[in-house]
Amino acid sequence: MHRSPAFVLFRYGAILFAVAVTLVPVLWMASMAFKPIPEWQATGAALTWWPRNPTWDNFRFVFGTSTSDLIVALDRTALRPIVSSLLSATFGTIIAMTAGTAAAYGLSRFGAGQNLPLALIQLRLFPPMAVMIPVMIMWAFLGFIDTWWGLALVYGIVTLPFAFWLMKTFFDDMSREIEEAALVEGCSRFRVFTRITLPMMRAPLASAALFVFILNWSDYLIALLLTTRDWVTVPVYMASLSSSMTGQLYGAKAALGLIAAVPPVILGILIQKHLVRGLTFGALKQ
Amino acid sequence: MTMAEKLTLPATTLPPDTDRRRLGFRLTLPAQVLVLLISLFPLLMQLYISLTDWSPLSGLMWPRAWQMWNGLANYADLLSDNRLWAALGRTAFVMAVCVPVEFLLGLALATLFMDEFPGKRVLYSILIMPMMVVPAVAGYMFFMLFQSGGPVNDILSWFTASPVTIAWLSSPTLALTAVMIADIWQWTPLMFLILLAGLMGVPEDQMKAATLLGAGPWQRFRTIVLPRMRTIIVIALAIRSIECFKIFDTLFIMTGGGPGVATETISVYIYKITTQDLIWGYVAAIALAILLVLSVACIWAMKRLAR
Repeated sequence: MHRSPAFVLFRYGAILFAVAVTLVPVLWMASMAFKPIPEWQATGAALTWWPRNPTWDNFRFVFGTSTSDLIVALDRTALRPIVSSLLSATFGTIIAMTAGTAAAYGLSRFGAGQNLPLALIQLRLFPPMAVMIPVMIMWAFLGFIDTWWGLALVYGIVTLPFAFWLMKTFFDDMSREIEEAALVEGCSRFRVFTRITLPMMRAPLASAALFVFILNWSDYLIALLLTTRDWVTVPVYMASLSSSMTGQLYGAKAALGLIAAVPPVILGILIQKHLVRGLTFGALKQ
Repeated sequence: MTMAEKLTLPATTLPPDTDRRRLGFRLTLPAQVLVLLISLFPLLMQLYISLTDWSPLSGLMWPRAWQMWNGLANYADLLSDNRLWAALGRTAFVMAVCVPVEFLLGLALATLFMDEFPGKRVLYSILIMPMMVVPAVAGYMFFMLFQSGGPVNDILSWFTASPVTIAWLSSPTLALTAVMIADIWQWTPLMFLILLAGLMGVPEDQMKAATLLGAGPWQRFRTIVLPRMRTIIVIALAIRSIECFKIFDTLFIMTGGGPGVATETISVYIYKITTQDLIWGYVAAIALAILLVLSVACIWAMKRLAR
Protein backbone atom coordinates (compact mmCIF):
# COMPACT_ATOMS: atom_id res chain seq x y z
CA MET A 1 0.00 0.00 0.00
CA HIS A 2 1.33 3.44 -0.86
CA ARG A 3 1.87 5.74 2.07
CA SER A 4 2.45 9.48 2.08
CA PRO A 5 5.90 10.65 3.26
CA ALA A 6 4.24 12.47 6.16
CA PHE A 7 2.73 9.23 7.37
CA VAL A 8 6.01 7.35 7.04
CA LEU A 9 7.75 10.05 9.04
CA PHE A 10 5.03 10.04 11.68
CA ARG A 11 5.15 6.26 11.91
CA TYR A 12 8.90 6.08 12.45
CA GLY A 13 8.68 8.92 14.96
CA ALA A 14 5.96 7.22 16.98
CA ILE A 15 7.58 3.80 16.86
CA LEU A 16 11.02 5.12 17.79
CA PHE A 17 9.48 6.94 20.74
CA ALA A 18 7.84 3.69 21.87
CA VAL A 19 11.15 1.86 21.42
CA ALA A 20 12.92 4.46 23.55
CA VAL A 21 10.33 4.15 26.33
CA THR A 22 10.64 0.37 26.11
CA LEU A 23 14.41 0.36 26.33
CA VAL A 24 15.15 3.02 28.97
CA PRO A 25 14.23 0.87 32.03
CA VAL A 26 16.16 -2.12 30.65
CA LEU A 27 19.21 -0.10 29.71
CA TRP A 28 19.20 1.72 33.04
CA MET A 29 19.36 -1.60 34.86
CA ALA A 30 22.06 -2.92 32.51
CA SER A 31 24.09 0.25 33.03
CA MET A 32 23.61 0.02 36.80
CA ALA A 33 24.88 -3.55 36.81
CA PHE A 34 28.26 -2.37 35.52
CA LYS A 35 28.63 0.71 37.73
CA PRO A 36 31.07 0.84 40.62
CA ILE A 37 29.61 1.88 43.99
CA PRO A 38 30.34 5.64 43.78
CA GLU A 39 28.26 5.87 40.61
CA TRP A 40 25.20 4.00 41.99
CA GLN A 41 23.47 7.14 43.19
CA ALA A 42 23.39 10.69 41.95
CA THR A 43 26.09 12.77 43.52
CA GLY A 44 24.92 16.37 43.62
CA ALA A 45 22.88 17.03 40.51
CA ALA A 46 24.84 14.80 38.15
CA LEU A 47 23.33 11.45 37.30
CA THR A 48 25.55 8.74 35.86
CA TRP A 49 23.65 7.57 32.79
CA TRP A 50 26.44 5.40 31.51
CA PRO A 51 29.11 3.81 33.74
CA ARG A 52 32.21 6.02 33.71
CA ASN A 53 34.37 3.20 35.07
CA PRO A 54 32.58 0.01 33.98
CA THR A 55 33.32 -2.95 36.22
CA TRP A 56 32.36 -6.59 36.82
CA ASP A 57 32.44 -6.00 40.58
CA ASN A 58 28.67 -6.30 41.02
CA PHE A 59 28.64 -9.72 39.40
CA ARG A 60 31.68 -10.82 41.41
CA PHE A 61 29.96 -9.57 44.55
CA VAL A 62 26.76 -11.59 44.09
CA PHE A 63 28.85 -14.68 43.44
CA GLY A 64 30.70 -14.22 46.69
CA THR A 65 33.94 -12.45 45.94
CA SER A 66 33.74 -8.92 47.22
CA THR A 67 36.33 -6.65 45.74
CA SER A 68 35.32 -3.52 47.58
CA ASP A 69 35.94 -2.40 51.13
CA LEU A 70 32.64 -0.52 51.14
CA ILE A 71 30.42 -3.58 51.36
CA VAL A 72 30.91 -6.79 53.27
CA ALA A 73 30.73 -10.14 51.49
CA LEU A 74 27.37 -11.90 51.41
CA ASP A 75 26.74 -14.89 53.63
CA ARG A 76 24.87 -16.55 50.76
CA THR A 77 25.83 -16.20 47.12
CA ALA A 78 23.58 -16.12 44.07
CA LEU A 79 24.72 -19.54 42.93
CA ARG A 80 22.27 -21.56 44.98
CA PRO A 81 19.23 -19.40 44.06
CA ILE A 82 20.16 -19.79 40.39
CA VAL A 83 20.29 -23.56 40.80
CA SER A 84 16.98 -23.44 42.66
CA SER A 85 15.31 -21.35 39.94
CA LEU A 86 16.63 -23.67 37.23
CA LEU A 87 15.58 -26.87 39.00
CA SER A 88 12.11 -25.73 40.03
CA ALA A 89 11.33 -24.10 36.67
CA THR A 90 12.65 -27.07 34.67
CA PHE A 91 10.85 -29.74 36.66
CA GLY A 92 7.71 -27.60 36.86
CA THR A 93 7.83 -27.44 33.07
CA ILE A 94 8.28 -31.21 32.82
CA ILE A 95 5.26 -31.81 35.08
CA ALA A 96 3.04 -29.32 33.25
CA MET A 97 4.08 -30.52 29.79
CA THR A 98 3.72 -34.23 30.57
CA ALA A 99 0.29 -33.93 32.15
CA GLY A 100 -0.82 -31.20 29.76
CA THR A 101 0.27 -32.96 26.55
CA ALA A 102 -1.27 -36.29 27.55
CA ALA A 103 -4.54 -34.65 28.58
CA ALA A 104 -4.64 -32.48 25.46
CA TYR A 105 -4.22 -35.58 23.28
CA GLY A 106 -6.86 -37.44 25.26
CA LEU A 107 -9.34 -34.63 24.74
CA SER A 108 -8.40 -33.86 21.16
CA ARG A 109 -8.58 -37.48 19.89
CA PHE A 110 -10.78 -39.39 22.32
CA GLY A 111 -13.01 -36.68 23.79
CA ALA A 112 -11.88 -37.55 27.32
CA GLY A 113 -11.81 -35.01 30.15
CA GLN A 114 -14.45 -32.62 28.82
CA ASN A 115 -14.32 -30.73 32.14
CA LEU A 116 -10.65 -29.83 31.77
CA PRO A 117 -10.79 -26.80 29.46
CA LEU A 118 -13.06 -24.80 31.74
CA ALA A 119 -11.49 -26.13 34.97
CA LEU A 120 -8.05 -25.06 33.76
CA ILE A 121 -9.24 -21.60 32.71
CA GLN A 122 -10.74 -21.17 36.15
CA LEU A 123 -7.46 -22.27 37.69
CA ARG A 124 -5.78 -19.47 35.77
CA LEU A 125 -8.43 -16.98 36.81
CA PHE A 126 -7.87 -17.37 40.54
CA PRO A 127 -5.24 -15.19 42.19
CA PRO A 128 -2.57 -17.58 43.49
CA MET A 129 -2.74 -15.70 46.76
CA ALA A 130 -6.29 -16.98 47.30
CA VAL A 131 -5.37 -20.68 47.26
CA MET A 132 -1.99 -20.51 48.96
CA ILE A 133 -3.11 -21.17 52.55
CA PRO A 134 -4.21 -24.77 51.94
CA VAL A 135 -1.17 -25.31 49.73
CA MET A 136 1.14 -24.01 52.47
CA ILE A 137 -0.52 -26.31 55.03
CA MET A 138 -0.35 -29.36 52.74
CA TRP A 139 3.22 -28.63 51.70
CA ALA A 140 4.28 -28.21 55.33
CA PHE A 141 2.64 -31.56 56.09
CA LEU A 142 4.48 -33.23 53.20
CA GLY A 143 7.78 -31.58 54.10
CA PHE A 144 7.79 -29.67 50.81
CA ILE A 145 8.32 -26.17 52.25
CA ASP A 146 11.64 -24.65 51.17
CA THR A 147 12.46 -27.41 48.67
CA TRP A 148 12.86 -27.08 44.92
CA TRP A 149 10.64 -30.08 44.30
CA GLY A 150 7.77 -28.61 46.34
CA LEU A 151 8.07 -25.46 44.28
CA ALA A 152 8.28 -27.46 41.03
CA LEU A 153 5.02 -29.25 41.82
CA VAL A 154 3.14 -25.97 42.35
CA TYR A 155 4.68 -24.54 39.18
CA GLY A 156 3.60 -27.65 37.28
CA ILE A 157 0.01 -27.11 38.36
CA VAL A 158 -0.03 -23.35 37.90
CA THR A 159 1.26 -23.55 34.32
CA LEU A 160 -0.71 -26.67 33.40
CA PRO A 161 -3.48 -24.55 31.78
CA PHE A 162 -0.99 -23.08 29.30
CA ALA A 163 0.62 -26.44 28.48
CA PHE A 164 -2.78 -28.05 28.02
CA TRP A 165 -4.34 -25.33 25.89
CA LEU A 166 -1.28 -24.85 23.70
CA MET A 167 -0.91 -28.55 23.01
CA LYS A 168 -4.65 -28.97 22.48
CA THR A 169 -4.67 -26.39 19.68
CA PHE A 170 -1.56 -27.97 18.16
CA PHE A 171 -3.18 -31.42 18.19
CA ASP A 172 -6.45 -30.02 16.83
CA ASP A 173 -4.57 -28.41 13.93
CA MET A 174 -2.56 -31.50 13.11
CA SER A 175 -3.50 -33.58 10.12
CA ARG A 176 -4.64 -37.04 11.22
CA GLU A 177 -3.94 -38.95 8.03
CA ILE A 178 -0.63 -40.40 9.16
CA GLU A 179 -2.09 -41.43 12.52
CA GLU A 180 -4.98 -43.14 10.79
CA ALA A 181 -2.67 -44.91 8.38
CA ALA A 182 -0.65 -46.27 11.29
CA LEU A 183 -3.85 -47.47 13.00
CA VAL A 184 -4.86 -49.34 9.87
CA GLU A 185 -1.39 -50.92 9.81
CA GLY A 186 -2.21 -52.39 13.22
CA CYS A 187 -0.40 -50.00 15.55
CA SER A 188 -2.08 -49.61 18.94
CA ARG A 189 -3.46 -46.16 19.69
CA PHE A 190 -0.95 -45.59 22.45
CA ARG A 191 1.92 -46.54 20.17
CA VAL A 192 0.59 -44.16 17.54
CA PHE A 193 0.69 -41.39 20.16
CA THR A 194 4.21 -42.10 21.41
CA ARG A 195 5.87 -43.25 18.19
CA ILE A 196 4.18 -41.12 15.54
CA THR A 197 2.32 -38.13 16.97
CA LEU A 198 4.87 -36.97 19.53
CA PRO A 199 7.90 -37.13 17.19
CA MET A 200 5.90 -35.25 14.55
CA MET A 201 5.03 -32.60 17.11
CA ARG A 202 8.61 -32.02 18.25
CA ALA A 203 8.70 -28.35 17.24
CA PRO A 204 5.35 -27.36 18.82
CA LEU A 205 6.27 -29.35 21.94
CA ALA A 206 9.54 -27.48 22.21
CA SER A 207 7.93 -24.05 21.87
CA ALA A 208 5.18 -24.90 24.35
CA ALA A 209 7.80 -26.13 26.82
CA LEU A 210 9.85 -22.96 26.43
CA PHE A 211 6.72 -20.87 26.93
CA VAL A 212 5.87 -22.74 30.14
CA PHE A 213 9.49 -22.50 31.30
CA ILE A 214 9.43 -18.71 30.92
CA LEU A 215 6.30 -18.53 33.07
CA ASN A 216 7.82 -20.72 35.77
CA TRP A 217 11.11 -18.86 35.75
CA SER A 218 9.21 -15.55 36.12
CA ASP A 219 7.41 -16.45 39.31
CA TYR A 220 7.99 -14.41 42.45
CA LEU A 221 4.94 -14.72 44.71
CA ILE A 222 4.82 -18.51 45.01
CA ALA A 223 8.51 -18.81 45.75
CA LEU A 224 8.18 -15.99 48.26
CA LEU A 225 5.58 -18.00 50.16
CA LEU A 226 6.97 -21.51 49.79
CA THR A 227 10.70 -21.01 50.21
CA THR A 228 12.43 -19.52 53.20
CA ARG A 229 16.16 -19.95 52.98
CA ASP A 230 17.77 -22.96 51.33
CA TRP A 231 15.92 -22.95 48.04
CA VAL A 232 14.88 -19.33 47.48
CA THR A 233 14.74 -18.50 43.78
CA VAL A 234 16.57 -15.68 42.01
CA PRO A 235 13.78 -13.05 42.24
CA VAL A 236 13.24 -13.74 45.95
CA TYR A 237 16.97 -13.64 46.59
CA MET A 238 17.31 -10.43 44.61
CA ALA A 239 14.53 -8.73 46.56
CA SER A 240 15.97 -9.86 49.88
CA LEU A 241 19.40 -8.38 49.22
CA SER A 242 18.45 -4.89 50.34
CA SER A 243 16.81 -5.79 53.61
CA SER A 244 19.69 -7.90 54.86
CA MET A 245 22.22 -5.10 54.41
CA THR A 246 22.32 -1.50 55.32
CA GLY A 247 21.15 0.55 52.39
CA GLN A 248 20.27 -0.43 48.85
CA LEU A 249 22.71 -2.57 46.92
CA TYR A 250 21.68 -1.02 43.62
CA GLY A 251 24.45 -2.42 41.46
CA ALA A 252 24.39 -5.92 42.91
CA LYS A 253 20.62 -6.18 42.56
CA ALA A 254 20.81 -4.87 39.01
CA ALA A 255 23.42 -7.51 38.17
CA LEU A 256 21.10 -10.19 39.55
CA GLY A 257 18.12 -8.69 37.74
CA LEU A 258 20.08 -8.87 34.51
CA ILE A 259 20.94 -12.52 35.15
CA ALA A 260 17.26 -13.27 35.83
CA ALA A 261 15.92 -11.26 32.88
CA VAL A 262 18.17 -12.45 30.08
CA PRO A 263 17.08 -16.13 29.67
CA PRO A 264 13.33 -15.50 29.26
CA VAL A 265 13.91 -12.63 26.83
CA ILE A 266 16.11 -14.80 24.61
CA LEU A 267 13.72 -17.76 24.82
CA GLY A 268 10.77 -15.46 24.20
CA ILE A 269 12.32 -14.15 21.00
CA LEU A 270 12.94 -17.75 19.92
CA ILE A 271 9.27 -18.67 20.25
CA GLN A 272 7.87 -15.33 19.07
CA LYS A 273 5.73 -17.12 16.51
CA HIS A 274 3.75 -18.95 19.16
CA LEU A 275 3.46 -16.21 21.78
CA VAL A 276 -0.01 -15.09 20.70
CA ARG A 277 -1.34 -18.63 20.71
CA GLY A 278 0.12 -19.29 24.15
CA LEU A 279 -1.04 -16.09 25.75
CA THR A 280 -4.61 -16.37 24.49
CA PHE A 281 -4.97 -20.05 25.43
CA GLY A 282 -4.93 -20.98 21.77
CA ALA A 283 -7.93 -18.80 20.98
CA LEU A 284 -5.85 -16.86 18.50
CA LYS A 285 -3.13 -17.97 16.12
CA GLN A 286 -0.56 -15.85 14.44
CA MET B 1 -14.09 -58.48 31.19
CA THR B 2 -12.77 -61.65 32.76
CA MET B 3 -9.50 -63.27 31.81
CA ALA B 4 -11.25 -66.19 30.14
CA GLU B 5 -13.32 -63.92 27.90
CA LYS B 6 -10.27 -61.93 26.95
CA LEU B 7 -8.49 -65.09 25.85
CA THR B 8 -11.35 -66.38 23.77
CA LEU B 9 -11.98 -63.10 21.98
CA PRO B 10 -9.56 -62.11 19.24
CA ALA B 11 -8.16 -58.63 19.87
CA THR B 12 -9.78 -57.11 16.81
CA THR B 13 -13.30 -57.70 18.07
CA LEU B 14 -12.66 -55.60 21.17
CA PRO B 15 -15.15 -52.75 20.83
CA PRO B 16 -12.96 -49.84 19.68
CA ASP B 17 -15.00 -47.43 21.76
CA THR B 18 -14.05 -49.03 25.07
CA ASP B 19 -10.44 -49.06 24.03
CA ARG B 20 -10.57 -45.41 23.06
CA ARG B 21 -12.36 -44.38 26.20
CA ARG B 22 -9.91 -46.21 28.42
CA LEU B 23 -6.87 -44.67 26.76
CA GLY B 24 -8.50 -41.24 26.85
CA PHE B 25 -9.19 -41.64 30.55
CA ARG B 26 -5.62 -42.70 31.27
CA LEU B 27 -4.16 -39.85 29.27
CA THR B 28 -6.23 -37.22 31.07
CA LEU B 29 -5.75 -38.75 34.53
CA PRO B 30 -2.52 -36.95 35.56
CA ALA B 31 -3.99 -33.57 34.66
CA GLN B 32 -7.21 -34.36 36.55
CA VAL B 33 -5.23 -35.38 39.64
CA LEU B 34 -3.16 -32.19 39.52
CA VAL B 35 -6.29 -30.05 39.15
CA LEU B 36 -7.93 -31.80 42.10
CA LEU B 37 -4.78 -31.41 44.14
CA ILE B 38 -5.04 -27.65 43.88
CA SER B 39 -8.81 -27.18 43.66
CA LEU B 40 -11.18 -29.56 45.41
CA PHE B 41 -9.18 -30.59 48.46
CA PRO B 42 -7.75 -27.12 49.17
CA LEU B 43 -11.19 -25.56 48.76
CA LEU B 44 -12.75 -27.92 51.30
CA MET B 45 -9.84 -27.33 53.66
CA GLN B 46 -10.19 -23.60 53.21
CA LEU B 47 -13.94 -23.73 53.82
CA TYR B 48 -13.34 -25.62 57.06
CA ILE B 49 -10.62 -23.29 58.31
CA SER B 50 -12.64 -20.22 57.37
CA LEU B 51 -15.26 -21.23 59.94
CA THR B 52 -12.71 -21.19 62.76
CA ASP B 53 -10.26 -18.84 64.42
CA TRP B 54 -7.38 -21.12 63.55
CA SER B 55 -3.88 -19.75 63.10
CA PRO B 56 -0.60 -21.59 62.53
CA LEU B 57 0.50 -20.11 65.86
CA SER B 58 -2.43 -21.58 67.78
CA GLY B 59 -0.54 -24.76 68.60
CA LEU B 60 -3.17 -27.02 67.06
CA MET B 61 -2.87 -29.05 63.89
CA TRP B 62 -5.33 -27.75 61.30
CA PRO B 63 -7.65 -30.82 61.41
CA ARG B 64 -8.41 -29.91 65.02
CA ALA B 65 -9.30 -26.35 64.16
CA TRP B 66 -12.94 -27.12 65.15
CA GLN B 67 -11.87 -26.47 68.71
CA MET B 68 -11.70 -22.82 67.74
CA TRP B 69 -15.03 -22.87 65.88
CA ASN B 70 -16.56 -19.45 65.40
CA GLY B 71 -19.19 -20.09 62.77
CA LEU B 72 -19.67 -17.32 60.27
CA ALA B 73 -17.92 -14.67 62.35
CA ASN B 74 -15.05 -14.37 59.84
CA TYR B 75 -17.50 -13.72 57.04
CA ALA B 76 -19.30 -11.12 59.11
CA ASP B 77 -15.94 -9.49 59.85
CA LEU B 78 -14.94 -9.17 56.24
CA LEU B 79 -18.07 -7.17 55.45
CA SER B 80 -16.89 -4.46 57.81
CA ASP B 81 -13.17 -4.75 57.05
CA ASN B 82 -12.40 -1.29 55.70
CA ARG B 83 -8.86 -2.19 54.74
CA LEU B 84 -10.17 -5.05 52.58
CA TRP B 85 -12.70 -2.86 50.79
CA ALA B 86 -10.10 -0.14 50.29
CA ALA B 87 -7.73 -2.72 48.79
CA LEU B 88 -10.47 -3.99 46.48
CA GLY B 89 -11.33 -0.44 45.44
CA ARG B 90 -7.68 0.31 44.76
CA THR B 91 -7.34 -2.84 42.66
CA ALA B 92 -10.44 -1.85 40.70
CA PHE B 93 -8.97 1.61 40.17
CA VAL B 94 -5.67 0.20 38.89
CA MET B 95 -7.60 -2.08 36.52
CA ALA B 96 -9.85 0.75 35.35
CA VAL B 97 -6.83 2.88 34.44
CA CYS B 98 -4.25 0.35 33.26
CA VAL B 99 -6.35 -1.97 31.10
CA PRO B 100 -7.90 0.75 28.87
CA VAL B 101 -4.59 2.63 28.57
CA GLU B 102 -2.75 -0.56 27.62
CA PHE B 103 -5.50 -1.39 25.15
CA LEU B 104 -5.46 2.01 23.43
CA LEU B 105 -1.66 2.23 23.30
CA GLY B 106 -1.44 -1.35 22.05
CA LEU B 107 -4.07 -0.73 19.39
CA ALA B 108 -2.38 2.47 18.24
CA LEU B 109 0.98 0.71 17.94
CA ALA B 110 -0.60 -2.26 16.19
CA THR B 111 -2.17 -0.06 13.50
CA LEU B 112 1.29 1.36 12.78
CA PHE B 113 2.60 -2.17 12.18
CA MET B 114 -0.10 -3.28 9.75
CA ASP B 115 1.96 -3.10 6.58
CA GLU B 116 5.55 -3.87 5.71
CA PHE B 117 8.30 -1.32 6.25
CA PRO B 118 12.08 -1.54 6.67
CA GLY B 119 13.14 -2.60 10.17
CA LYS B 120 9.70 -3.91 11.09
CA ARG B 121 10.88 -7.24 12.48
CA VAL B 122 13.57 -5.81 14.73
CA LEU B 123 11.33 -3.02 16.04
CA TYR B 124 8.58 -5.57 16.70
CA SER B 125 10.95 -7.79 18.69
CA ILE B 126 12.11 -4.85 20.78
CA LEU B 127 8.58 -3.65 21.48
CA ILE B 128 7.33 -7.00 22.80
CA MET B 129 10.35 -7.45 25.07
CA PRO B 130 8.92 -5.94 28.29
CA MET B 131 6.35 -8.68 28.76
CA MET B 132 9.12 -11.26 28.80
CA VAL B 133 11.04 -9.52 31.56
CA VAL B 134 10.54 -11.27 34.91
CA PRO B 135 7.88 -9.11 36.66
CA ALA B 136 9.88 -8.93 39.88
CA VAL B 137 12.86 -7.63 37.89
CA ALA B 138 10.62 -5.13 36.10
CA GLY B 139 9.51 -4.00 39.55
CA TYR B 140 13.12 -3.46 40.53
CA MET B 141 13.82 -1.54 37.30
CA PHE B 142 11.03 0.89 38.07
CA PHE B 143 12.03 1.04 41.71
CA MET B 144 15.39 2.39 40.53
CA LEU B 145 13.89 4.67 37.89
CA PHE B 146 11.59 6.37 40.40
CA GLN B 147 14.22 7.10 43.06
CA SER B 148 14.27 10.78 43.94
CA GLY B 149 17.76 11.04 42.44
CA GLY B 150 16.85 8.69 39.60
CA PRO B 151 16.48 8.93 35.84
CA VAL B 152 12.78 9.85 35.77
CA ASN B 153 13.38 12.99 37.78
CA ASP B 154 16.50 13.67 35.73
CA ILE B 155 14.51 13.56 32.49
CA LEU B 156 11.81 15.76 34.02
CA SER B 157 14.43 18.31 35.02
CA TRP B 158 15.53 18.66 31.37
CA PHE B 159 12.11 20.19 30.73
CA THR B 160 11.74 22.27 33.86
CA ALA B 161 15.32 23.60 33.72
CA SER B 162 15.59 23.21 37.49
CA PRO B 163 16.46 20.01 39.40
CA VAL B 164 13.38 17.88 40.08
CA THR B 165 13.49 15.82 43.29
CA ILE B 166 10.08 14.22 43.53
CA ALA B 167 9.99 11.32 46.00
CA TRP B 168 7.72 9.18 43.82
CA LEU B 169 7.56 6.04 45.86
CA SER B 170 7.04 7.69 49.22
CA SER B 171 4.14 9.88 48.15
CA PRO B 172 0.76 8.10 48.46
CA THR B 173 -0.68 9.37 45.17
CA LEU B 174 2.51 9.31 43.12
CA ALA B 175 3.43 5.80 44.31
CA LEU B 176 0.21 4.45 42.82
CA THR B 177 0.92 6.35 39.61
CA ALA B 178 4.43 4.91 39.44
CA VAL B 179 3.09 1.39 39.96
CA MET B 180 0.56 1.87 37.18
CA ILE B 181 3.24 3.22 34.83
CA ALA B 182 5.29 0.08 35.45
CA ASP B 183 2.25 -2.10 34.72
CA ILE B 184 1.51 -0.20 31.53
CA TRP B 185 5.15 -0.48 30.45
CA GLN B 186 5.17 -4.21 30.96
CA TRP B 187 1.77 -5.16 29.54
CA THR B 188 1.05 -2.78 26.65
CA PRO B 189 3.20 -5.15 24.54
CA LEU B 190 0.75 -7.97 25.25
CA MET B 191 -2.15 -5.90 23.90
CA PHE B 192 -0.01 -4.86 20.94
CA LEU B 193 0.88 -8.48 20.14
CA ILE B 194 -2.68 -9.81 20.37
CA LEU B 195 -4.32 -6.88 18.58
CA LEU B 196 -1.75 -6.93 15.78
CA ALA B 197 -2.43 -10.63 15.22
CA GLY B 198 -6.11 -9.73 15.03
CA LEU B 199 -5.57 -6.81 12.65
CA MET B 200 -3.54 -8.98 10.30
CA GLY B 201 -6.59 -11.21 9.92
CA VAL B 202 -8.72 -8.41 8.48
CA PRO B 203 -9.00 -9.06 4.73
CA GLU B 204 -7.12 -6.45 2.76
CA ASP B 205 -9.43 -6.50 -0.28
CA GLN B 206 -12.36 -5.42 1.88
CA MET B 207 -10.32 -2.51 3.14
CA LYS B 208 -9.32 -1.58 -0.41
CA ALA B 209 -12.91 -1.77 -1.62
CA ALA B 210 -14.03 0.44 1.22
CA THR B 211 -11.28 2.94 0.41
CA LEU B 212 -12.37 3.03 -3.24
CA LEU B 213 -15.93 3.65 -2.11
CA GLY B 214 -14.64 6.70 -0.26
CA ALA B 215 -14.61 5.47 3.31
CA GLY B 216 -12.25 7.40 5.59
CA PRO B 217 -9.86 5.67 8.00
CA TRP B 218 -12.20 6.01 10.97
CA GLN B 219 -15.15 4.70 8.97
CA ARG B 220 -13.12 1.73 7.71
CA PHE B 221 -12.02 1.00 11.24
CA ARG B 222 -15.55 1.17 12.64
CA THR B 223 -17.38 -0.79 9.94
CA ILE B 224 -14.80 -3.40 8.84
CA VAL B 225 -12.06 -3.78 11.43
CA LEU B 226 -14.05 -3.48 14.64
CA PRO B 227 -16.73 -6.10 13.89
CA ARG B 228 -14.08 -8.63 12.84
CA MET B 229 -11.95 -7.89 15.88
CA ARG B 230 -14.73 -8.13 18.48
CA THR B 231 -13.83 -11.55 19.86
CA ILE B 232 -10.13 -10.76 19.87
CA ILE B 233 -10.70 -7.48 21.69
CA VAL B 234 -12.86 -9.24 24.28
CA ILE B 235 -10.18 -11.91 24.80
CA ALA B 236 -7.40 -9.34 25.11
CA LEU B 237 -9.36 -7.24 27.61
CA ALA B 238 -10.41 -10.32 29.61
CA ILE B 239 -6.85 -11.67 29.87
CA ARG B 240 -5.43 -8.34 30.95
CA SER B 241 -8.23 -7.66 33.43
CA ILE B 242 -7.75 -11.06 35.07
CA GLU B 243 -3.99 -10.62 35.33
CA CYS B 244 -4.30 -7.01 36.48
CA PHE B 245 -6.65 -8.07 39.27
CA LYS B 246 -3.88 -10.33 40.60
CA ILE B 247 -1.21 -7.61 40.41
CA PHE B 248 1.51 -8.34 42.96
CA ASP B 249 5.13 -8.85 41.86
CA THR B 250 6.06 -5.50 40.33
CA LEU B 251 4.05 -3.56 42.85
CA PHE B 252 5.34 -5.42 45.89
CA ILE B 253 8.96 -4.93 44.86
CA MET B 254 8.43 -1.24 44.10
CA THR B 255 6.47 -0.17 47.17
CA GLY B 256 5.67 -3.22 49.32
CA GLY B 257 2.10 -1.88 49.34
CA GLY B 258 3.19 1.38 50.92
CA PRO B 259 3.65 4.10 51.84
CA GLY B 260 1.22 3.08 54.56
CA VAL B 261 -1.44 1.24 52.62
CA ALA B 262 -1.38 3.62 49.64
CA THR B 263 -0.63 0.91 47.05
CA GLU B 264 -2.09 -2.07 48.87
CA THR B 265 -4.02 -4.10 46.30
CA ILE B 266 -6.03 -7.20 47.13
CA SER B 267 -3.14 -9.65 46.59
CA VAL B 268 -0.81 -7.54 48.71
CA TYR B 269 -3.40 -7.27 51.47
CA ILE B 270 -3.95 -11.04 51.57
CA TYR B 271 -0.19 -11.59 51.48
CA LYS B 272 0.32 -9.28 54.44
CA ILE B 273 -2.37 -10.76 56.65
CA THR B 274 -1.15 -14.25 55.71
CA THR B 275 2.50 -13.69 56.54
CA GLN B 276 2.41 -10.93 59.16
CA ASP B 277 -0.88 -11.19 61.07
CA LEU B 278 -1.13 -14.98 60.56
CA ILE B 279 -4.91 -14.96 61.06
CA TRP B 280 -5.40 -17.83 58.62
CA GLY B 281 -9.04 -18.51 59.50
CA TYR B 282 -9.90 -15.00 58.43
CA VAL B 283 -7.63 -15.14 55.36
CA ALA B 284 -9.37 -18.34 54.27
CA ALA B 285 -12.73 -16.57 54.51
CA ILE B 286 -11.52 -13.67 52.36
CA ALA B 287 -9.91 -16.02 49.83
CA LEU B 288 -13.06 -18.12 49.53
CA ALA B 289 -15.27 -15.08 49.14
CA ILE B 290 -13.04 -13.83 46.31
CA LEU B 291 -12.96 -17.24 44.61
CA LEU B 292 -16.74 -17.44 44.81
CA VAL B 293 -17.28 -14.00 43.29
CA LEU B 294 -14.71 -14.68 40.54
CA SER B 295 -16.24 -18.06 39.68
CA VAL B 296 -19.71 -16.59 39.37
CA ALA B 297 -18.32 -13.78 37.23
CA CYS B 298 -16.40 -16.29 35.09
CA ILE B 299 -19.42 -18.53 34.47
CA TRP B 300 -21.58 -15.50 33.68
CA ALA B 301 -18.95 -14.20 31.25
CA MET B 302 -18.56 -17.61 29.58
CA LYS B 303 -22.33 -17.87 29.08
CA ARG B 304 -22.43 -14.39 27.56
CA LEU B 305 -19.47 -15.14 25.31
CA ALA B 306 -21.04 -18.38 24.13
CA ARG B 307 -24.16 -16.51 23.03
